[in-house]
Amino acid sequence: MRRIFKIYKPFTHAGLLLAAQYRANFFFFIFGDILRCFINYFLWHAVFSSGGEKTFAGFSETDMVVYIFISFLTSIIAYSDGSYAVGEEIRDGSIAMRMIKPIRFDFAFLFQELGERIITVSLIFVPMMLGVEVYKFAVTGAVCFNIVNFILYVISLILAYLITFYFNVCYGYSAFILKNLWGANFLKDCIVGFLSGGVIPLAFLPSAVAAVLNILPFASLTYIPVMMYVGMFDVPTIVFSFALQIFWLVFFIILQQVIWNACVKRMSVQGG
Amino acid sequence: MKYLRKIHRMFKLHRIFIKQDLKKLMEYKIDFLTGAIGMLLTQAINIFFISVIFARIPSLDGYSFEQIIFVYGFSLLPKAIDHLFFDNLWAIGYFIIRKGDFDKYLTRPVSTLFAVTVEKFQVDAFGELVVGILLLGYSIPRITVSISVLNVILFFVSIFFATFIYTGVKLITSSISFWTKQSGHIIYMFYMINDFAKYPTTIYNRAVKAVITYIVPFAFTAFFPASYFITGGNAWYNIGGTVVMSAVLMAVGIFVWNKGVSAYESAGS
Repeated sequence: MRRIFKIYKPFTHAGLLLAAQYRANFFFFIFGDILRCFINYFLWHAVFSSGGEKTFAGFSETDMVVYIFISFLTSIIAYSDGSYAVGEEIRDGSIAMRMIKPIRFDFAFLFQELGERIITVSLIFVPMMLGVEVYKFAVTGAVCFNIVNFILYVISLILAYLITFYFNVCYGYSAFILKNLWGANFLKDCIVGFLSGGVIPLAFLPSAVAAVLNILPFASLTYIPVMMYVGMFDVPTIVFSFALQIFWLVFFIILQQVIWNACVKRMSVQGG
Repeated sequence: MKYLRKIHRMFKLHRIFIKQDLKKLMEYKIDFLTGAIGMLLTQAINIFFISVIFARIPSLDGYSFEQIIFVYGFSLLPKAIDHLFFDNLWAIGYFIIRKGDFDKYLTRPVSTLFAVTVEKFQVDAFGELVVGILLLGYSIPRITVSISVLNVILFFVSIFFATFIYTGVKLITSSISFWTKQSGHIIYMFYMINDFAKYPTTIYNRAVKAVITYIVPFAFTAFFPASYFITGGNAWYNIGGTVVMSAVLMAVGIFVWNKGVSAYESAGS
C-alpha cells in the first residue's frame, strides 16, 4: 500500500497543480450550476405552499431542500472526467505512452483525479455543508447536525466516487470501437444524471420503476449517499445500500480489467 | 438602396456559410444525432419532472400544468434560435481570442461581429426548437389564448426580440475576453441564469425577481411575454419590455464589442 502511494504520488501532485491553476474558472462554473439548485429550491417551495400536504413521498420541505443541495454537492465531488480523458488518449494515440511505462493505467488516472479532487473538496465542500446546516437551523430553530449520518454520507460518497470513476473508464474504452465525441458524452451525462436521482429523488417515481432503479448502479452514484445524509434510510436499508455500492464497485473494477486486457491485445495506434 | 444591397449581400454570405456547416455535419452524423438526442432527452426529463410535481398538486402558484408547459415551451424558442445562429460567441470566450485566431476576422471585408457569428450554424439547437414547438402545440389548445392577427404578430415580435436578449448577454460577456483573453466561464455563469425564466417569476423572492427583470433580464425572454398570451393583459409592459431590454442589451453589446476589437492584441507567436 505504502509503495503504491509512493509510486503514484507525482500524479496526485500534477492533478493538484492543474486544478489550482483553474480554480477561478471553477468558481464561475460552480456558480452557474448552483443557480439550478436555487431554481429547484423556489420551485419546491411553491409546490409545498400550494399543495396543502406537509410531505411528499416522505419528504418534508426541509428534507427536499437538503436533498437538492446535497445531491448537487455529491454530483460535483463524485464527478469523473475518466470517460473523456480515456477517450481522448485513445483517439490521439497518447495511450501508447502509458502502456510502455511500468505503471497501472487506471491508477495513474485515479491518482491524478485525486489531486484535482482535493482542490474541489476544499473549495466547495465546507461552504455548502455549512450553508445547508445553517438553513436547517434557520428553519427548525435547532441544531440538527447528525454526526452519524455525516460519517455514513462521507463513506458512501467515497464509494460513489470510485464507482463513477471505474464506470467512466469503462465507458471511455468504448472509444476503442466507437468514436466518442462530444455528443456521446453529453447523452451519457444526461441519462446518468436522471437515473442516479440527480433530477428528482427516486422515491418520487412509480414504485415499480423506483425498485428497478434502486438496484441499478446509478442509484449508488448520487441517490444512496444523499439519502444517508438526509437520514431517511433505516438500518437494514443502510447495510443493504453499502453492500450494493461495494458490489458495483467490484463489478466495474473487474469489468475495467477485462476490457483493458482485451483491448491491449487488439490495439493499433496511428502515428505516435 | 445602398443598405438594401448590403443586407442582400449579408444574407447571401450567410447562406454560403450555412451550406458549409451542413457539409461538416454530414461528416459527423453520429455525433450530431447523439447530441440532438441528448438535447431532446434533457428537455423530456425536465417535462417529466414537472409532471411528477403536478401529479401531487392541482396548480403551482395559481398556474395550471398546461400554462406552465406553455411558459416552458415559449422559453425554448428564443433560446434555440440564439443557439442556432450565434453559438460562435462561446468560442470567442473560450479560445478564439486566447489562441490569437481572431486575427483572421480582422482581415475580412465584413464587420467582425458578422464574420464571427456567421461562421457557425449550430444544428444541435434543433433539439430545443422541436421540443419548444411541440410543447406550444400541446399547450395552446388547452389554455385560453385568443388567437388573432395581432397576437400572432406580437408572438413573432416577442420571439425575435427575446432571441436578442440571449445574444446580447452573450455578446457583452464574450467581449470581456478582448481584455482578459478568456471569458468562457463568465459567459456560462450569466447564461445559466436563463433557466430561471422557464417558470413563473412569481415563485421567486424579491431579490431573484429584481435580478432576472432588470439586471440580466431573462424574465423577458419567456415569462413576461408568455404571460401576456396567457392573461391577455399588460401588453405594453410584457411585450414592450422585451423589445426595450433586447434593444438596450444589443446596443451595449455592440458598443463593448467594438471597444474590445480596438483593444484586441493578438497572441504573439
